[in-house]
Amino acid sequence: MNAPFDSCVITPAGSAAGPWRARLQLGFERRGERTVLAERSHIGPLRLQKALYPEGERICHGIVLHPPAGIAGGDELSIDVTVGAGAHALLTTPGAGKWYRSAGAEGRLRQCIEIAPGALCEWVPQESIVFDCALGRLETRVELQGDAAFVGMEMVRFGRSASGERFTAGDFRSAIRISRDGRPVWLERSRIDGGGRLLEAGVGLAGWPVSGTLIVATPVVEDEVLEAWRGVAPIEGDGAVTRLPGVLLARFRGSSCEAGREWFVKLWSAIRPRVAGVPVTVPRIWNT
Amino acid sequence: MLALVRLLQLASPALPVGAYTYSQGLEWLVESGEIKTEADVAEWIGDLLEFGVGSFEAPLLAALIGAWQRDDTIELARLNDDFLASRETAELRAETVQMGYSLVRLLSDLPGFAELAAGRERLLAIDEPAFPTAWAAAAAAWRIPGEMAVPAYLWAWLENQVMAAVKTVPLGQSAGQRLLAALGSRVPAVTERALALPEADWHNFTPGLALACSRHETQYTRLFRS
Repeated sequence: MNAPFDSCVITPAGSAAGPWRARLQLGFERRGERTVLAERSHIGPLRLQKALYPEGERICHGIVLHPPAGIAGGDELSIDVTVGAGAHALLTTPGAGKWYRSAGAEGRLRQCIEIAPGALCEWVPQESIVFDCALGRLETRVELQGDAAFVGMEMVRFGRSASGERFTAGDFRSAIRISRDGRPVWLERSRIDGGGRLLEAGVGLAGWPVSGTLIVATPVVEDEVLEAWRGVAPIEGDGAVTRLPGVLLARFRGSSCEAGREWFVKLWSAIRPRVAGVPVTVPRIWNT
Repeated sequence: MLALVRLLQLASPALPVGAYTYSQGLEWLVESGEIKTEADVAEWIGDLLEFGVGSFEAPLLAALIGAWQRDDTIELARLNDDFLASRETAELRAETVQMGYSLVRLLSDLPGFAELAAGRERLLAIDEPAFPTAWAAAAAAWRIPGEMAVPAYLWAWLENQVMAAVKTVPLGQSAGQRLLAALGSRVPAVTERALALPEADWHNFTPGLALACSRHETQYTRLFRS
């Protein structure tokens, strides 16, 4: 059952042609009651697989595809998304992202999301798996303007722990910065070394292989939402929530991405009617 | 010599900024039984020293001192904003804002120190000065170099954390001093690394701290404010 993984490790996609340099640019705009994909361009194999309207024409769902299904050492990928005034876009991925083992070069993914006043972007990719010996660099920048809103979900598994693999070497670094009108409201820079102390330490992942964050950035977070979030706990693993100015945040560490995601969906459901006017519709691709 | 005396004043637990009212999650960890012994305390605080305070707050403090020395107000505002945005939970953010506010007020109450005048004015122009921002202003005004200021700041944090553990676990005073001696011996290496760390390599990922502090927000009986 590990064959597909192992073949990817031995022959990372893109290796025949050298590392990937890929870029995807997406621009969503509101036209009348509809959110349309007004701009879509790509260089290299990074693309938008589909734009769907499962919730009606107001909300555009997009599925972002990294063609070799993962990022290998030396790859440089970048995704730029703009969501225009009043538009509502939801972006996800067709499956787990992968950061492959590297022989020495770093793999990079840069994500930049700009959200105009009155707009909402829900950035809910499926989990990422950091293979043992990966050298991953993830940079996420979210720029909100005026009363724009953002929902971001991140779930990372260190090592293919389902098949017993641990993250023993390499390192994974992720930097996220969310700003509103140019001033940061959330900033985190993580660095997890393979085999390093943070994987086991109580201040870090305490031996759990999965780490997740759900963040909602809106101009105001009402007390009732914070209370609702506090009333839901993950069925497995360790999770807690807090509220910062303009930010509601949930953290998870556990052994199962599914448990983390299930918890995050409950939390997302508790706030979505307020930020989007409608309940959560879980992307169907998550179930395939 | 005067710089050292000023530094001792700045790093002293007698500095009236209320540091002793914050446990940074320790109170919850003790309540929940995750921290029970002197060894548990040493491990928790040592890891935070390494992966939290030492790898983000300390290099940021050194950068702040540099910005105060150059009177670079744009950089000061940027670093202050970044530090506030990096606070993991409501209580950790409230802590640095309250301590920053108290320190700015204190510096304003020291009119005899002409060297503080410029920094005071700049500090009052920042809408929410974080504690390290205000602390760095005083360090720069008193001409305390970064290589002395950073270990002193780390020491003050360490002392406060150990005292919170002594109160909550509880531990004896000798255990507290043993912890300070052991953890203190790690400060030089942490400082050296912090001073050499380029900003792109600063990191502050300590989800265990964030979880503990988030839970402290709803802890039933609390002596500490974080």
